[in-house]
Amino acid sequence: MGFAELIQHLQEPWALRALAASSMVGIMCGVLGSFIVLRNMALIGDALSHAILPGVVVAFLLVGQSTLGFFTGAVAAGLLSAVAITWIQRNVKTKADAAIGIVFTAMFSLGVIGISRVSRLPGVHLDLKDFLFGNVLGVNNEDLYLTLAITLYVLISVVVFYRYLFATTFQPVIAQTMGISVRAIHYYLMLLLSFAVVASLQTVGVILVVAMLITPAATALLLSKRLPKVLMIAALIGFMSAIIGLVAAIILETAPGPAMAVVATIFYLLAALFAPGKGLLFRQIRKLELQRRIRLEDTLKQAFHLQSAGKLSEESLAENLGFSQKVVDRQVQKLRNRGLMKAEELQLTKKGNEEARRLVRAHRLWETYLANQVGMPAEQIHDHAEKYEHLLSEDVLDEVDRTLGYPSIDPHGSPIPARRGLPEYSLLQLEPGKKGIIAEQQSSELIASRLWHLGLAPKSPVTLVAKGEEEVEVQQNGQTVKVPVDLARRVSLEKPA
Amino acid sequence: MNPAISIKGLSVSYDRKVVLANIFLDIEPGSVYGIIGPNGAGKSTLFKAILGLVESHTGVIEFFNEDVEAHRKEIAYVPQRDDIDWDFPATVFDIVLMGRYPYKKLLEPINKRDREKALQALRKLGIENLKDRQVGELSGGQQQRMFIARALCQEANIYLLDEPFVGVDITTEEKIISLLKDLAQQGKTLLVVHHDLSTVREYFDKVVLINQRLVAAGDTENTFTEENIAKAYTSQLPILHKIS
Repeated sequence: MGFAELIQHLQEPWALRALAASSMVGIMCGVLGSFIVLRNMALIGDALSHAILPGVVVAFLLVGQSTLGFFTGAVAAGLLSAVAITWIQRNVKTKADAAIGIVFTAMFSLGVIGISRVSRLPGVHLDLKDFLFGNVLGVNNEDLYLTLAITLYVLISVVVFYRYLFATTFQPVIAQTMGISVRAIHYYLMLLLSFAVVASLQTVGVILVVAMLITPAATALLLSKRLPKVLMIAALIGFMSAIIGLVAAIILETAPGPAMAVVATIFYLLAALFAPGKGLLFRQIRKLELQRRIRLEDTLKQAFHLQSAGKLSEESLAENLGFSQKVVDRQVQKLRNRGLMKAEELQLTKKGNEEARRLVRAHRLWETYLANQVGMPAEQIHDHAEKYEHLLSEDVLDEVDRTLGYPSIDPHGSPIPARRGLPEYSLLQLEPGKKGIIAEQQSSELIASRLWHLGLAPKSPVTLVAKGEEEVEVQQNGQTVKVPVDLARRVSLEKPA
Repeated sequence: MNPAISIKGLSVSYDRKVVLANIFLDIEPGSVYGIIGPNGAGKSTLFKAILGLVESHTGVIEFFNEDVEAHRKEIAYVPQRDDIDWDFPATVFDIVLMGRYPYKKLLEPINKRDREKALQALRKLGIENLKDRQVGELSGGQQQRMFIARALCQEANIYLLDEPFVGVDITTEEKIISLLKDLAQQGKTLLVVHHDLSTVREYFDKVVLINQRLVAAGDTENTFTEENIAKAYTSQLPILHKIS
């Protein structure tokens, strides 16, 4: 089909009616579907769409071929199923999703049997296939008005009851205490859902309605973190899926319903891959960044250890890290770019040393935590800490430090460095019963003056008596003094000989 | 003084199992009450009954001598945080604004005053800077602060908090308890289901000890005694108690 021919086709009344009907259905299903997805009711959406068939048959037997008759019958059957499902879930010991399955397959089967019986009667033009897959190209004006009325009704309902829908979906208990009837909102949503399903019947058919309800909504949920935006994006994706699907179906001369569902799925896949934040690609990139950071931090820590042992060289780095010389070169270059390693020689800068000490602190604190609090065997703690040293924030570490009672050595007997900006040998690091000497030079005047107020003198020995959660007890010249933990951590001691 | 909540002969059973039996209890305004009892003692059920969420119970619960419906707006509930969909597309601000819902008629929009109240509540809890975060991007303590900010935003008279300190950092716990004490000073009524017996004396000026039945209620000083605690924590298994 050429382009000109397509444009010509699209201008014919049947095509315009089809475009109008399916775009309304796309918008309405997107909006309503967002609530269905958030309330974990995808299966109910599917169930209701299948369950309306017997209602259509009964309506046909009663009033013949009538749009309004079909509408009433379908909505009645939909609501009946919703009530039946909820009733079974509340009163019979059957699992919730099993109850849904039982009701909708039963209703669907009754509908199929009914339609195939009725369609055999003389003079009846009912085609099962139209109900299952839709017949959007056969939409007449009456159908179109009904779809318009339903769409407006559904959208206005969502706007009017937005706060109720939001509250009952996010936290039903709270909604209830605020005087909102959770059950009434549930059934009202079921009513709207039945309306939407009936309107979608001609466009996509009962089998694929659920695709229009779920797929655009799930896509929108990947793209935004605020409900009003989610509703708008879902409406837009529903609308575009319907239009693009319909045009594609006309070009390819296939059924429009499945084409719309396929287009919606393509949107979903694109979002799943590329959505910022929640998309797979984004998450993959973040994972790679983390790996890169871990590699760099490992290099930094290794350089720190080697430097303390006086053995830092590119060769020893490569050997200890198990990297090739080329990789080490690149890592060292990165350290230099970040100001962690001196440019002219293979030595860490002040910033590099601090950063490395933070990692060592994280590693050894976590090891201590695993051994003392979790009770993990000593041979397992290293690998675990190797991973977590890169992930634990300073705040979490402080909390761990506090919980452990500010330990000074880890389970392997290595010293645990102090928090950044704190003295290397602090009063807090003394083991109970051990002696230390308060340094003359404290890191700030304030600390010196607070010590003076407590009656603790510099340059004379103090004994740590006990470590508590809030305070440590120290003794100097026979006097016992309580020092708050926060202060003790900042008090510098003279380096032990 | 008129009791804020008056419970007369409350009994609740689920599937023929008794959860609460014949509770008589008056809750005075201006105090922080600790609701203490072992697991399965019916503490959460007591809250649900007070909130009118339990369909079949016997007995009468009155608020300032009136039915719950007359006072819905004034009761703020902070439930346990377990069954919440943290991926939900809502920001902290959206959730705190829910506190204004009870004051709104059907089509009445949220206005500037409501937003200002929500901001004030966020500020009181020290999480104003998090207001545009999606709810799942918060730590446990921050989530709890958000729900308490919502209760404040509701400007309630009666606050029911179900285990507000579970999964919460120390700083948040201290912040919340000092806030609750402030509210009590202003004459509000506060009920807190609490598990950690070691902090009861420090946190609450009144306690209610329950274990299906009311064991004791009153000033913490005279009520939170070893004898009463033992009663609350053993009476569930009276037979075992007798054997030992």
